[in-house]
Order: sequence, then C-alpha cells, then structure tokens
Amino acid sequence: MKKIQISTRNGIISLCLVFLVGVIQNAHGQDVPRESDYYRITTVPVPEGIKIEGGGVISLPNGNLGVSTRRGDVWIVENPTMGNDGYAHFKKFASGLHEPLGLAYKDGKFYTAQRGELTELVDTDGDGMADEYNTIYAWPLSTHYHEYSFGPVLAPDNTFFVTANVAFGNQEWWRGESRVPWRAWTMKITEDGKMEPWATGMRSPAGYGLIDGELFYTENQGDWVGSGGIWHLPKGAFTGHPAGLKWSGEENSPITLTEEQFYSKIDKRQIKKNGRYVKPENIKDEKDPLFVYEAKAYFPELQLPAVILPHGILGISNSEIMVDDTQGKFGPFDGQTFVGDMGQSKIMRVVMEKIKGQYQGVAFDFRSGFQSGVMRFDFDKKGNLFVGETNRGWGSAGTTNSGLQYLTWTGKIPFEMKTVRAMPDGFEIEFTKPVDRASAELLDSYSGKSYIYKYHAAYGSPQTNLEQTSVKGVKVSADGRKVRIVLNNLRQYYVYEMSLPGLKSKGDGTGILHPTFYYTLNAIPEGAKLPSSELSTKRAKVKKKPVAKKKVVRAKDNTVPVLTDKQVQTLLTDNTCVACHQKDKRVVGPSFKAISKRKYSNEKIVELIYNPQPKNWPEYATPMAPMPQVPRDEALQIAAWINSLR
Amino acid sequence: MKIGTGTLFFLLLSIGPIWAQTQEPLENLDNFREQAGNWKIVGNVTVDPTVDVHDLMEAPKEMVPEKKKRRKKRKKEKTIEVKPQALTTTPGTGILINQYSEDKKDRIETVWQHGDIKLQLEVMLPKGSNSGIYLQGRYELQLKDSWGIANPKGSDMGGIHNNWETDPDKIFRGIPPSGNASKAPGLWQTMDIHFQAPKFNAEGEKIANAKFVSVVLNGVKIHSNIEVPHPTGGPISKQESAVGPLVFQGNHGPVAFRDIRYQLLEDGKVTISNLTYTTYKGDLMGLEDLDDGAVVHEGSAKQFDVDVTGEEDGYGLVYKGTLNVPQEGDYTFTVGYTGGVLLTIDGMELIKHNTAQAQRQQSETIHLTAGEHPLSLTNIKSAAWRAPRLGLSVQSASTNPVILNSYSSYPPTVNSVSPIFVESGKGPRLLRGFVAFEGDGERLSHTIGVGTSQGINYIYDLAAGNPLGFWRGDFVNATPMWHGRGDGSFRPMGAVQWTFLNQPLAMLDHPDAPFPKTGQSPDFVPKGYSMDPDTGLPIFKQLYKGVEIENRIIPNTDNTHIMHNIRFSDQQLADWYYKLAAGQIRKMPHGIYSVDDRYYVKVLKGPVPMIRKVEGEDELILPVDGSELTYEIIW
Repeated sequence: MKKIQISTRNGIISLCLVFLVGVIQNAHGQDVPRESDYYRITTVPVPEGIKIEGGGVISLPNGNLGVSTRRGDVWIVENPTMGNDGYAHFKKFASGLHEPLGLAYKDGKFYTAQRGELTELVDTDGDGMADEYNTIYAWPLSTHYHEYSFGPVLAPDNTFFVTANVAFGNQEWWRGESRVPWRAWTMKITEDGKMEPWATGMRSPAGYGLIDGELFYTENQGDWVGSGGIWHLPKGAFTGHPAGLKWSGEENSPITLTEEQFYSKIDKRQIKKNGRYVKPENIKDEKDPLFVYEAKAYFPELQLPAVILPHGILGISNSEIMVDDTQGKFGPFDGQTFVGDMGQSKIMRVVMEKIKGQYQGVAFDFRSGFQSGVMRFDFDKKGNLFVGETNRGWGSAGTTNSGLQYLTWTGKIPFEMKTVRAMPDGFEIEFTKPVDRASAELLDSYSGKSYIYKYHAAYGSPQTNLEQTSVKGVKVSADGRKVRIVLNNLRQYYVYEMSLPGLKSKGDGTGILHPTFYYTLNAIPEGAKLPSSELSTKRAKVKKKPVAKKKVVRAKDNTVPVLTDKQVQTLLTDNTCVACHQKDKRVVGPSFKAISKRKYSNEKIVELIYNPQPKNWPEYATPMAPMPQVPRDEALQIAAWINSLR
Repeated sequence: MKIGTGTLFFLLLSIGPIWAQTQEPLENLDNFREQAGNWKIVGNVTVDPTVDVHDLMEAPKEMVPEKKKRRKKRKKEKTIEVKPQALTTTPGTGILINQYSEDKKDRIETVWQHGDIKLQLEVMLPKGSNSGIYLQGRYELQLKDSWGIANPKGSDMGGIHNNWETDPDKIFRGIPPSGNASKAPGLWQTMDIHFQAPKFNAEGEKIANAKFVSVVLNGVKIHSNIEVPHPTGGPISKQESAVGPLVFQGNHGPVAFRDIRYQLLEDGKVTISNLTYTTYKGDLMGLEDLDDGAVVHEGSAKQFDVDVTGEEDGYGLVYKGTLNVPQEGDYTFTVGYTGGVLLTIDGMELIKHNTAQAQRQQSETIHLTAGEHPLSLTNIKSAAWRAPRLGLSVQSASTNPVILNSYSSYPPTVNSVSPIFVESGKGPRLLRGFVAFEGDGERLSHTIGVGTSQGINYIYDLAAGNPLGFWRGDFVNATPMWHGRGDGSFRPMGAVQWTFLNQPLAMLDHPDAPFPKTGQSPDFVPKGYSMDPDTGLPIFKQLYKGVEIENRIIPNTDNTHIMHNIRFSDQQLADWYYKLAAGQIRKMPHGIYSVDDRYYVKVLKGPVPMIRKVEGEDELILPVDGSELTYEIIW
C-alpha cells in the first residue's frame, strides 16, 4: 500500500482499513494471491561440507548445471531438479580459483573471471575434471579486497566482457579508486587474449547480461551512484563513477574525458580537516543539487541509467541480469528481463523500451523469499530459473549464507502489470489479465510520486525533488488489458513510482500481485496526447465514517501515540525501512528491537533516520543511506514504535 | 661460520626486541659453569649436510634407558674419529658449540638462574644429531634432526620430552610439537620460548606447574600453554624449584647455538591502595563534562571495576588511589576501555583520550621512584553500542603484568571466528589468493598455493613464473579470504622458506646486468597451468619472448626436497639466464649452495651455476640455452 498525500492522511487510514477488511473477507472465500502460487522456490540440498556460494551459474546443453563459487570451485550439478533417485549430484570440476564471480560456457569449455584474470577451464581427458586452467588474459590488481572481477559475458561475436570493481582509498575508505588499469572498467577480451578497454564508470558492477545482443550491467548504490539500476554499455560509455577516468589517457581508451576535466565541473568534495580527510555526506536541503542528466550536458559520454531500481525498494545490491528466453515455459513474461538482488534476496522484473534512441523502462517486484542473497541465475531448458546464492560479508533478507535454489512457474497466470510504456502524456499499463473496469476507471486506484537521485561524491542519495503525482484521467482499453493513465505533470529523467492497490482483475476480483511500478523516464515520447473527452475522471465517494474510538497508547515521553505492529507496518513498508530491518531479526541492518535497546530518544531516532551514523553499528557491513524523504511525523511515529519494543 | 654484518643486521631487524633483553655475548664461557671442554666458543661452523651422525648412534635415546644408552654411546664414540667430520669450525666468537667426544660430553649450565623467562635463540644441528634445551635444568625442549618427519613425537625437534619415571604419579609422557616446523641439518633454526616456572607457596608446596606459555620454531607456534607437571628425562635435579639454570644437553650429539637472548620475568609487586571512586550519570561526551555531571554515588574498592556505575551507558567514573612501587624503574601502564579515559600519576596526565565513544587499549611507560604515587583513572562512555569496559595493568621490563581490575571489568578478548583451514588431503590442493611475501611484505596478486599429499606445500607467483616459498605440514589458512567479505588472501600454515621476488628468467644484455622486474605483455605472458596426468601436480606455463616455458615443481618422496624442472620450446637461446637464488650464497660440498644459511640449492640437470654480485646481493644464476633444467631446493 502506498502513501497518498499527507493532507489526506485520514483518508489513507480508512482506505487501509477497507483494504484490510477486504483481505479478511477474501480469506474466507478465496486465498489472497501469494507469489508462491505462481512461482515456487525449490532448494537443491547441498551435501554437507560443500559451500555453494554462488558466484556464477550456467545451464549446460546436457541439462547439467555449472556453478562457480566464492570458495574458488566450479561444480557440475547433475540432475539439478532431483528427478529419479531424488538427489542432485555435485561433482567438482575445478577448484583453487580466486573468487570466480561468473561462469560462461562455449564448445565444451568453461570460462570464468577470477579476481586477476579471465580463465579457460578445459577437461581434455573426459574425467569430468578440468586439467587445463588456461590464462586468457590477466590484468593487474593492487590486492585491495574490493577488487572483485565479474564475468564473463559471452558476446554474440564470441568475445568476452568482464567488469571490474573499484578499490577504496586507504584514508578515504569511502572513495572508490582505480589504482591500476583497468579497475572500474569493462573489458572486452578475445579468446586469444586481446583486451580492448570498452567502457568505464563502474563502481561495483556485480551484474551483467545481454539484452537484444547489447551489453547491460547493474550497479549498486554508492559514491557517485545515487541508486542502483541498470545501465546500457555501448563502447565508450561512461556510466558515472569517475575512478576509471584515470586511464582515459591510455592509447587504447575509447574515452577521452579526463579526471581533471571531470573535476573541473563537478565537486570532488575532497576536504581535509585537522590533517584528516572528511567523508562527504549528503547535504540536507541542498539548494541546487546536481543530477546525472545535468552533468551529461558537460560530458555527453555520460550514460543515464536505463532503469533505476530505487535503492531500498527494488534491491540494495543488484546482481544478475537475465532475459527470459524460455518462450513461455517460465510464464507470461517471455522476453522480459529479470534482475537479482543480494541484500533483499529477491528477483525483480524489468521491461525496457527505446525512446528517442535512449533505453528506459519499468521495474516491478517479482519474487522474494530466497534463502540467501541472489547473486547469479540461469534458465534451464525446462524453464526453471536456477539461482546461485551468497550473502557472506553483506547480509541479506534470506538468512542462509549460501546455496542453490530454483524457481519454477506453476502454470497459473498471476494478475500483474505485464509492462508499462511511456506515453506523451503519461503511461500505458498492460496487464496479464483483463481488469475490472469499474475499479480501473476510478482515479483513486492510482497514486504515486516521482523523484530523482543526486549525482555526488557522497554515498547514495535520498529521493530528491519528491512530488506526488496528480492523475488527470484514465482510459481503459476495450479488451480491458490496457489502461492509459494521463498525468498532469510529466518530468523527464525522473522515476515514477505508482501504485494501483485498488485495481482488481475482471471476474475473480483479485488485486495486482505486485501493485507498484517504477518507471525511469529518460525521454518522453512524441505523439498524440489523449483528449480529455476520452478520459475517465471518476472518484470513489468517500463516506466519512465516524472512526471508532480506540484506546490510544501513549509513548513513554507521552507525546507520540504508539502504533500497533500492524499499523506501523504500513509506514515501515512505505518508507522502505523493511528493506533492511525487521522487528526481531537481524537482516541487512539491525532489528528494530536491537535499535530500541540503544535507548535513543524519539527525536534522536528521527535524526538518525535523516542522517545515519553507520559507525554506531560496526558489525553491519552495509551502511544505511540517509532517508530525509521520510516525513517527520511518520519518522516520529516509527521512532515511538521502536522505543515501545524495549 | 662467520656472521657477516649483513646477516647480523637482518637478525636484529627480524627479531626486534619488544622488551629489554639480555644477550649472551658468546665471547667466552664466563656466563657458564665449567664443563669437560666439549663446549666452546667459535666464530664459524660448517656442516656437511650429507654426513649422518645418526649412523654413530645405535638407538634413539627415547627408546633406551639412560644407563644402557651411555654404554652404547661410549662404543660409538670410538668410531667417530675415523668418520668424516660432520661439522668443522674456525676460531672466533659468537657461536657456542658442542663438539662432544668420549671423554667430553657434558651438558652446559648457565651461571645465572631463571624462573619465568622469555628466551630466543638460534640452533643448528648436523644430520642425525640430538640435543635439548632444559628450562631450569629440568624441563626439556627437544632439539633433534627431525627433518622430513611427517608426524613428530615429543622426542622430535620442538617436542617436550617425556621422562622415564615408573611411579604413575611422576610419569610425564611428553608433548609433541603441533607440527614439524624443523629444517634440514646444517641450517640455522630459530626458537622463541616463553616459559613460566612452577610456583610454590610459603610452605614450599607447589601451587602451579611449570608451563610453556608459547614455543615458536622457525616462525611457527608449536606449543601454546602446555603445563609440564614433572621434570622431563635427564634433569639436573628431580626436585622442582622456583629457579634454576638454563641447560643445554651435551651427550647426544653436536649442536651449535647463536644469538641467545633472554628476558627474566618475575611477578610484579606493584599494588594499589586507598582506592575510592565516584560515579556519574549523564550525557557525558567529553571528560570536561564530568565537572557538571551528576554524582550518583561514592565508595571504596580493592580493584578497578566499571560495573560499580550500575549503568550500561551514559556514565562517568573517577577512581583515586595510591600506587605502591617497591622498586625504582620504568613501568608500563596499559589501559583498556570503552568510551574515553584519563590516567594520571603524580598528578601528571599519562594516558588521555578525550572522547566518549572509543574502544581501545593504550600503553605508556613512565619512570617511577620507589614508594607511593597518587593515581587517578577517569572513564566516561556515551556509546550505547559498546559494552562497558575498563582495565588497568602495570608491568616493568622484568615483570609479568599486574592486573589491577576485576575480571568482568575487562575480560580478555577472544576470537569468535571459526577458522577456515584448507587441507591438501589426498592432494594436490591448489588455491589462488593474494599472498604477502615473507608473511608481511609486498602483497602479490597473481599467486597460487599448491599443497601436496606428501605434506610439502609451495607458493608460485603466476605473474612472474616464480616459486616464491616452500613449507611442510598443513596447507593454508583461508580465513582472511573466506570470512566475511575477506581480503582476498590466505596464509600458509607452516614455516615458509621464502625465496625472492620477481621474474627468475630473463634475457640479459650482459652477464652482469640485473634481472628486470616482472615482465609485461607481450614480452612475458603467463599462460596458466595444466594438471600433469603423471603427478597430478600443475605444470605452470609462460610465454617469454615467444618461447614456451613449462615449470614442474615436484616434492621428493622423503618430504625433504622439492624439485623444480624447467623446459623450453626453443633450444637455441642465447643470453638467457635463470636465477636460482638471491641472498648470501655459499658453496658447500657436493654441488650444494647454501642461501643465507636458511636453505640449500642444488642443480641436478643443467650447467654449473655462477655466483655473481648484483646491487650488493649474491645471486646464483644459470646460463640458459633452452636445454632442460632441474634443481632442488632443500630446507
């Protein structure tokens, strides 16, 4: 459920109640749709003593599965769907590799990116174990822990793409840096060992994949990266993190932009106080923050993210990119793209389109509940999606440290937004099933907001220039499968986050399984706008019911009423707190109970929501991003609830 | 052997005394009791590593009662004169050597006595020899040529030797070292011992056993907190005592010692009295905030204890007391705390950290006269995520630390991470990871460890085509790489014999030209490795100036040598050289070269090596024409 405007807060609460009541009623008649009704997760039991910290997953032509792990092994899993005798068989194909974070397969050979090289693994004598570990191309490393290398992606021209993480500064431990070539770059490597620097601007390019033969990669929030997302990577692209510009002067660099040129326009925010560097933080209420599209005016090679995956909502550490090429075996999303996330242990769904030469598109939640961080996946021939998992060092919603699972379509079609397309005056939503016309024509069924992320040296960015969307009208197609929504104000470069909780499917009246879409509007298409005459502008008649008097629990400082767990859940979900925190359990961040034990005042908690102090929680690997977009009254209510848990 | 200045410098650097140590000058025998004359001070020792003194000893001593053994040795000593000399010496100072004979095979005792002691020394044994270090003349740490033994016993190098008592109350069965960290005969080996003497009460009853707190052999910890309840075999006295001399065994074979350093420790006698405290509560962010902090309560105490505040956070605590110093000297104070602290002595600030959020341990040393010194210790904390901690200890150069806090106020920190060890098992086991050369030197990025089923392990630098180091025993500890995010590195689990950095193969403009740093593509291209179907071990491949090179590194079956075989695709090479070793190189009998007295190199197939001096360092190099090369590394 998504927040509407603050001024209509009472309205929301009553709406929530209506919705909850609806759910209960539904439970009597028919089950509320769950993700597992449509996509089932099966865990492949791993023999004791084996750690499948999935760094690479590839489906082999003979039905076996290849998995490379952070422990340096490559396993061949026979019978991975556990038919016949009920076990999957794990055979060690190769071992001793240096944290290989990807796997490709071609002509009977495996290819993997170790930290320092692209390696070809060959079994020449047919005993199922590699006996050649051939170095195809080795690149330098400074031996910083963060210098992970990812890949390879096998390109249609039989070359390999490898992406390379930045290191971090010694004193400036927050600043990504490229100490040796070609850290922060994507390399294109031929089978005979020729390397071509392809693109730079990467910070932590853990995910990659081909979409329509074009290379894309995913990136996490970090310095110079306001939010995670997916970037298109044509040759010569610069995707935003400036570390790799250090090597733009090398003779084979496809990029000419230098660090000096970059920092002459954009503040590096490298400040020393008392002889020590000071970590740049988000500037609250910044007057004129810089956005990527504005920086692109200076540096045309700067690449906008094709699809932003709003940090904390659609993942916190995005990973694999994989196109559904199962031709329907995996359900109704053939040709669409799936993106994994480690921290939230889930898979998102993305549909892209090209507008005015620019990739952009929509993202949805798709399937959560994996046992560990989702790192890599691949479809087998039957349309099962095999997922290699790990969360070591980062934490994840799934509490197992590693493993292998697969996702299977049950054959039922979920009621979902199949895709969303940008229109000159708004969006067109296509559904997997016809909609209930009455609910679809109500403007109250659509609410949302738009925002953008800052481009700066600080870690991540809050959602900025937040604005509630105002729906002018909607038009439902004759077959009930499409809805045009026309907005009063369309902002180019912004993310449109819109929710349709009230919209029902035709017939059974179920709600949308994932009722929110996130569209990155890099370009607004030309074309005819819908005339007002064709728009429905109906609104529900809101009856002002007298709200039953409830016993109001006061907080300990007697100022803020304490919400119940159920009541606060809306706020926690809406403000994306649940992405990293749960009531009792440590996930990416500490549990709310653990926070309550710190005995912070409500005011202090609010201050920490706006300006977190990760050093307060040294055992947690992922720093919390500042959340200044959380309305103050909601933050206070959350704080009061947290303190009630003590 | 003469210790060159270079070697001495290296030793000083590598040992780096932490506490004030005494060094035995080994210029004469003044610090030792008289003995038969088998112990001498010499300047140089040369050991022929092929001459086995073991032949002369009919049975290992641990198998035989002492009396019988003595008899047997008498027999063998007659033959020793006609055998080739295992060890020859030249006059000089710096080395204590036992050249025993039938008439002269005494032990040697120091004139000084010790209780608790930290002792460091270097020891060299010829092939088959056997000796021992007796702490207090009673507890023997065995010295023996245990080269290549896979599962050492208490009677092997580094073991704590058994005794031969038959009374069940007096039997001590010996403690083997946790692994065999010993080296080949004739090489200098380092030993680092921390020993605690048995303790007695006023009635003379023993209240604590003798204990080896730690023993480190060649850089590998082989004992941790091992109690020895009875004297081991062959003590100077079976009566345990608070003090005794340091003794080296002399009747089982030749042995040489050098660089003997020690530090005598006794229990500290510093005490604290008149201890009072005041506790505060509030949002104390700095020490100055105590001035207007709210006093909660006051009291007196016997020791420091942060729990007297009764708070988890947001507290202040000021202790005042009198420090009683029995003897003038330098005293080191160590404060462990969470939050911030101020320690003053005689009203002077000794340790200060004005914050409320730190977690630290800080030490400072101050000269104190004998007598009373006012002391104050202030602690504040406003850091909810840190547990309350406050500890204070005092020690001097010759005492164990005196802990002045309660246990719960500053409990010892323990490691909560389960280590991840990688074993070679049936082997071989390969593992790539970053490796720091010499343990703490340059971190190398393209390195691979290879562990064999024989228990010989090595590290190969793929970027340079260079075997970097060798060790025996367990393979590697991968915790640094695989715990949490990890740092990409692993650590060898044994005493690594490191070689040298960078590319050993090069085409040189002239025979005196230095070897280049690691080559770059296209000149030098690492090609990875393939698994040899014959040995199961990797064959490392490179391309250098268009020539394909293969490297095979194979342990011998005795677990003592490693053999490196190099093959070239072109047999018409000119001006190519291969570097076998760098350091201080000495030619030995039988084509063996000693490198820094730490390991040996011997060419099995190939031309005669040359020793040359480049930039102040010896290099052992071979001209390369493309014919197959094989050399052994022995350590």
